[in-house]
Amino acid sequence: MSSKSLSVTLQQTRPIPLDCTLECAPGELISLVGPSGSGKSTVLRCIAGLHRPQQGRVECSGTVWFDAARGLALPPQQRRIGMVFQNYSLLPHLSAADNVALGLEHLPAGERIEKANEWLARVHLEGLEQRRPNQLSGGQQQRVALARALAREPQALLLDEPFSAVDQVTRRKLQQELARLRRELAIPIVLVTHDLDEARMLSDRMVLLHHGVSLQSGLPEDVMTRPANAAIARLVGLSNLFEGRIAPPSVTGMTRLESIGLQLEVAHNPGFAPGDKVSWVIPPEGILLHRRDRPARGDAENPVTGLVADCLAFGPYTQVVLLPEGGELPLSFSIPSHVAQRDGIAAGMAARVTLLSQAIHLMPPEKSD
Amino acid sequence: MSDRPLIKGWLTICSLVVCCVMASFCSAQTAPTVAAAADLKFALPELAQAFESASGRKLRLSFGSSGMFAQQITQGAPFELFFSADESYVLMLQQAGRTVDAGKLYALGRIALFIPNGSPIQADNNLRDLATAARDGRLKRLAMANPEHAPYGRAAREALQHNGLWELVSDKLALGENAAQAAQFATSGSAQAGLIPLTLARAPELVAKGAFVTLPESWHQPLKQRMVLIQGGGETARLFYGFMQTPAAQAILVRHGFALP
Amino acid sequence: MDWSALSLSLKLALATTLLLLPLAVLLARPLAWSNFVGKGLVEALVALPLVLPPTVLGFYLLLAMGGNSALGGAWHSLTGRTLVFSFDGLLLASLIFNLPFAVQPIQRAFDAVPREAREAAWCCGLSSWRTLWRVELPLAWPGLLSAIVLTFAHTLGEFGVVLMVGGNIADETRTVAISIYDRVQAFDESGAATMSALLVAISFVAIASLNMLTRRIGKGGQDTGHEL
Repeated sequence: MSSKSLSVTLQQTRPIPLDCTLECAPGELISLVGPSGSGKSTVLRCIAGLHRPQQGRVECSGTVWFDAARGLALPPQQRRIGMVFQNYSLLPHLSAADNVALGLEHLPAGERIEKANEWLARVHLEGLEQRRPNQLSGGQQQRVALARALAREPQALLLDEPFSAVDQVTRRKLQQELARLRRELAIPIVLVTHDLDEARMLSDRMVLLHHGVSLQSGLPEDVMTRPANAAIARLVGLSNLFEGRIAPPSVTGMTRLESIGLQLEVAHNPGFAPGDKVSWVIPPEGILLHRRDRPARGDAENPVTGLVADCLAFGPYTQVVLLPEGGELPLSFSIPSHVAQRDGIAAGMAARVTLLSQAIHLMPPEKSD
Repeated sequence: MSDRPLIKGWLTICSLVVCCVMASFCSAQTAPTVAAAADLKFALPELAQAFESASGRKLRLSFGSSGMFAQQITQGAPFELFFSADESYVLMLQQAGRTVDAGKLYALGRIALFIPNGSPIQADNNLRDLATAARDGRLKRLAMANPEHAPYGRAAREALQHNGLWELVSDKLALGENAAQAAQFATSGSAQAGLIPLTLARAPELVAKGAFVTLPESWHQPLKQRMVLIQGGGETARLFYGFMQTPAAQAILVRHGFALP
Repeated sequence: MDWSALSLSLKLALATTLLLLPLAVLLARPLAWSNFVGKGLVEALVALPLVLPPTVLGFYLLLAMGGNSALGGAWHSLTGRTLVFSFDGLLLASLIFNLPFAVQPIQRAFDAVPREAREAAWCCGLSSWRTLWRVELPLAWPGLLSAIVLTFAHTLGEFGVVLMVGGNIADETRTVAISIYDRVQAFDESGAATMSALLVAISFVAIASLNMLTRRIGKGGQDTGHEL
């Protein structure tokens, strides 16, 4: 890790339990995700210096901000951070420009105003410098908050669910804004969000937090399609979660999995041997519907025949629940609505799907109590 | 910083206030304060006025009960001259080392029974009707100064005891904190009678409000009114002390109803 | 009309307000935002002058500041004057008996300042003092205004403590309230009536303007939530 990165270790038992480790390189955007109450905001506040955990260490750009062992805890003022709060926290009695200039007290007055206006222009708010926060929309306020955080040229940017208080359309725009801005920033960025899609879209790496413990950290795609265990699979919302057992390899050398009445071929995983019990998961995008009128070569891979139990149209996508023949548990996947219409997919009819062996992910079995 | 003018403004106002307060101290220091028993409430301003015309010097007068002033002077209150309605307070202060000397008798005090207009009680100088009124319920409240620290209150109590009326009226008393307040109670319409200093009963302000009779001085311990200079006083106080002993001053005292010693 | 008493009262009220305001801010801050051992005790002590009879307050102040006390003695050696029965003593007593009137509105106003606003200021690099000046005080201004008006009006009207600690010395401790008492005893009803009417007018104007100001300026988007 380069010296400009942010490295965090935190432990505490009170007031909420925490056991979290993360690293963020300059220019990297990591997201902290987890259900509410998982401690994500607390972790962010520890990095900012707004909360002091019992144990741990926070270091950024070579400066140690917090080290419990040495009794060192710099207050937020002495850490060069930029923080964007969930509810903007703009000061209502100051104009947008004055809000942005709040972090620039170390500069002479003229330079301060110049810089503030510059940053407001960068977030596309030129012309609105003298407006008070109550004269700005939610999206505009959040842009001001962002400009305020960045105007100080901080060593790290921290965002605490910054887009959850705005509507969908504004959220999209703000996310794009952030995605654009970060290309120009060479600092570590930590984004706390409960929205997995947002994390997937914006972050380079995702850290999953549950009950204060960092469970898995990696590329968002990896965390969401290849969770480390069944508990994580549930946290990231994967619904096709099953138990199974490894069977002796097939003639082609592929690992075989027996589960829910099916015999499946999966990519070779050295961590598991024949006879082992496993949990496995397959994301919805790993299940492909066969076209009845036009069979394809890929249909031979892990074919599963079954009965459509439910078919729910959700705008451009349709959720399908399939009960496999001879199987006990349903598989859920989604197909574009136009395909569902074209093929006349409806509840009660027979259908065939392929489970992509590359998409099947094996995990240690869940401990049964 | 946009806040600079605000801070400057605030500091300017503060310093202005401090200066004003300081300035007022300087000017107020010159006129000495005189503590006087409440029965002098009408006589002393006239005496002070006469003194000012004669000498060009001003005085600041404070009226209250003698006991209260004695207490305050013991605590270090900055009075320079003390007119007590009872000499025991002066002698007490002398023993405490607060006074220049034992002071001088300036008058003898007398008490009066004051009946406000509209009261059902008759003013008679042996308190006979008062006694009857106490028994038949016409007297609901009798105003007098607090005997604990006002000499005129003590004298009033002694007079009542002399006539065997103390137990009869003791639950009907309205005690004034000093003799002037007692007089004020007596005229306010909430008391049917009052035992107040003669000098107050005779004053023009009260004459219109009721009738009075002077009570015999044999009914109470004499109210030997003594004045004394307090330690640390200045020249003006001393001059006034001297003025009080001149015939001119004594004439004013007599006119207000004081008996000379 | 006792002009010197009026000027004395105004001086006392002004001096008390100006001196007490920063003290009250310093006291109200930790009461609003920190949780320290003995906080309940401090709050109770601050509120004490609200419920104690003025004579009790006056009695203890007399004890603490009188000529025989350590404080009184020290003051005397320093300035050559007594602390009791002087304007200085009155000012000191006034600072104490006005404490709840100054601290409580400010504390409530600080309570209403969102925590995130202060945190945002800290994350922008503002020190505790700069945050007080640029964020906390501007957002708590209705409470400050209340404190100023209440302290001023209350000082003008205080009687019991002033009488016990100040006596009734013209130009020094004879405030308007004392002067009215004095005039009544001197059978000068018109004088007493004039001064009483003036005090009523001043107090009424003070409170009415406070309400008006708070409401009007407060309409600019901020929640003030404070009225008398």
